[in-house]
Amino acid sequence: MTSSWPLKAVVQRSSGVQASRGTRYSLRARMLFVLSAVLLLFLGFTGVALDRAYRNSVEAGAAERLQVQVYLLLAALEQEAGEFFVIEDIQDPRYASINSGLYGFVYDAAFVEMWRSDSALTLSFSSRGQQTQPMPGVGESVFETVIDATGEQLFRFSYGILWEGIESPFSVSVVELAAPYFSEIRDFRRSLGRWLGGAAALLLIVLLILLRWGLRPLVRLSLELRNIEQGSSERLTAGYPDELRAVTGNLNRLIDSERRQRERYRTTLADLAHSLKTPLSVASGSIENMSNLLRYENNSDELDEQLAVIRQTLARMAQIVGYQLQRAVTSQSPSTLAVRVDVSTAVTELLAVFRKVYADRHFIVDSRCEEGLQFRGDERDLLEVLGNTLDNAFKYGDSQVRIIARQGSTGALEFYIEDDGPGIAPNQRDFVLQRGARADTLAQGQGIGLAVVSDIMASYQGSVSISTSDLGGARFSLYFPQPEIDGVRD
Amino acid sequence: MRLLIVEDEDLLRQQLETGLVQHGFIVDAAADGRNGLYYGTEYDYDAAIIDLGLPEIDGITLIEELRRAGRTFPVLILTARGDWHEKVKGLNAGADDYVVKPYHLEEIVARVNALLRRAAGFAHSSLEFGPIHIDLSAKRVLLNNESVDLTAYEYKLLEYLMLNAGKVISKAQLTEHLYAQDHDRDSNVLEVFVRRLRQKLDPDQSLNPIETVRGQGYRFDLELASESSRAEI
Repeated sequence: MTSSWPLKAVVQRSSGVQASRGTRYSLRARMLFVLSAVLLLFLGFTGVALDRAYRNSVEAGAAERLQVQVYLLLAALEQEAGEFFVIEDIQDPRYASINSGLYGFVYDAAFVEMWRSDSALTLSFSSRGQQTQPMPGVGESVFETVIDATGEQLFRFSYGILWEGIESPFSVSVVELAAPYFSEIRDFRRSLGRWLGGAAALLLIVLLILLRWGLRPLVRLSLELRNIEQGSSERLTAGYPDELRAVTGNLNRLIDSERRQRERYRTTLADLAHSLKTPLSVASGSIENMSNLLRYENNSDELDEQLAVIRQTLARMAQIVGYQLQRAVTSQSPSTLAVRVDVSTAVTELLAVFRKVYADRHFIVDSRCEEGLQFRGDERDLLEVLGNTLDNAFKYGDSQVRIIARQGSTGALEFYIEDDGPGIAPNQRDFVLQRGARADTLAQGQGIGLAVVSDIMASYQGSVSISTSDLGGARFSLYFPQPEIDGVRD
Repeated sequence: MRLLIVEDEDLLRQQLETGLVQHGFIVDAAADGRNGLYYGTEYDYDAAIIDLGLPEIDGITLIEELRRAGRTFPVLILTARGDWHEKVKGLNAGADDYVVKPYHLEEIVARVNALLRRAAGFAHSSLEFGPIHIDLSAKRVLLNNESVDLTAYEYKLLEYLMLNAGKVISKAQLTEHLYAQDHDRDSNVLEVFVRRLRQKLDPDQSLNPIETVRGQGYRFDLELASESSRAEI
């Protein structure tokens, strides 16, 4: 029973996801991984950018304050005979107290110290902090970070000036401890980290909830499939989201067709056994008769008659077997997964066969297939339906066969197959198309081809009818309604 | 006419072989695709009958291989399932006709005869060459509307020459296509048959239907009457 494999495969695959959740990543793990990576990157960049902006603004603030201090110091500075001093009561009192954190310097053009404030009496710079590079030009300023001998960081703001009566320029520097600014930045960084971390945690929680909610239909699907596998439910319930509806619709169709298939195998076997029994008993009866005839009388006419009966029943059995075989070949489960078959390719291939097989009869074949027509179903079914109908047309047609394939106004796929033979009388038409639910109900001598056509058409919820063609012979009209996939049409 | 049968079912193969031999064919039979391919490429056949379900090499591949090897003889396929999918595949692979099992021997013979005739380029089974009329399906020959009494071998010889009308057929070719391998291949026998045919078809020696082409073989030389026209191939 090859037909039962698709369902099994589906169910196995769904349980396979569970078994290998650790090794092959689940959907949830994949999404979680990617989304949290994106989240971390985003928050990280935000943090770095905010931190840098804040630091820049703090330093700019420091530079501005020091610039003001330089101007104030300049206002208090006096010079006499190349010696600099300050007018005590104007200056910032911090210049007067030692190690106050605010220091003033005056350098000449060669960066030789001309004056330093009292607060800077014990301050010495590390070698890198000795000199400002380059020396600011007159009216220009330099803001930089320097390090003192103890490793403490300091901000230095230097301003170039020309003193009245002295040719070479000087520079006035104000130096301030950087630590208070840095601690301000550290505080900001700490609170920034707290906020961003909080946001990340919150977003992750939201993400988890979203994933859980978004993937719930899939979890439900796998649960329902397991229930079907265990036999506790018949099919998938409705109410899946749009994206899944095509899948669940197809799965339901698959499940249904599998169930129908199973049922069909059961009845087919029973039918076959029943329908073969009758001709078998007829034949064995005839053989009995023959042996009697041979034993007691030598009546060759009688013998021929009995032989004819046996021959007939053998033909009958061959017909029954043929019919069931054809039924077995055709899928009987239309549009299980709605495979598309190109109609014009199928027709072209079939006509090539008929041109070869009926080469002697020089048929004029008129084939009108709309381009791009698609048949949704099993290719074998289409070939079987068209092959049997066309065979009938070529067999009974005189010199012309016409096949038309087109899309009807309702979306159905329509075929018209006509010939110029004797046609089929109206009272014979139903009889010719009679389906043999049980093969032994087929009329004696009736070809099985058209019965198979009726069978297949019925399984597609389609129809087949016979009328008279304008060519003079029979006209077979076949309609395949195209299956919709749960409202999703394309 | 030499036929190749490739059928794996022993009983069916033997039945077919016996039946076709009784109908006057020379038959080689192979039980699997590999042997079938060997015979088909090694010898020159007039037609082949190939079952689709074969061991070693399946029927469709066998037909494709034969066609690829340049063998153009007509091929009749035997199919057990008889669905169109299989028929289409077989004929697309290069077969020319199909018969669905179970079949009657008569059906096979009729199909093979039709294929042979078509391969020779004749559209109808009844051909007229001047006053000589041959019915390929009834295997009958009329001269001026009177039945000519031919032995089985004489008929086979005439049929082969007529189906190849206009072509020179060597004696070797005639023996290969008309005699089973184990038969005596004495070419004198062939000459005797040709002489007898000439006597029967052309008693007053005015027609000369079979010409001897010195050193090469024989040629059937009459024109085909227009109504039994050649088929377009």
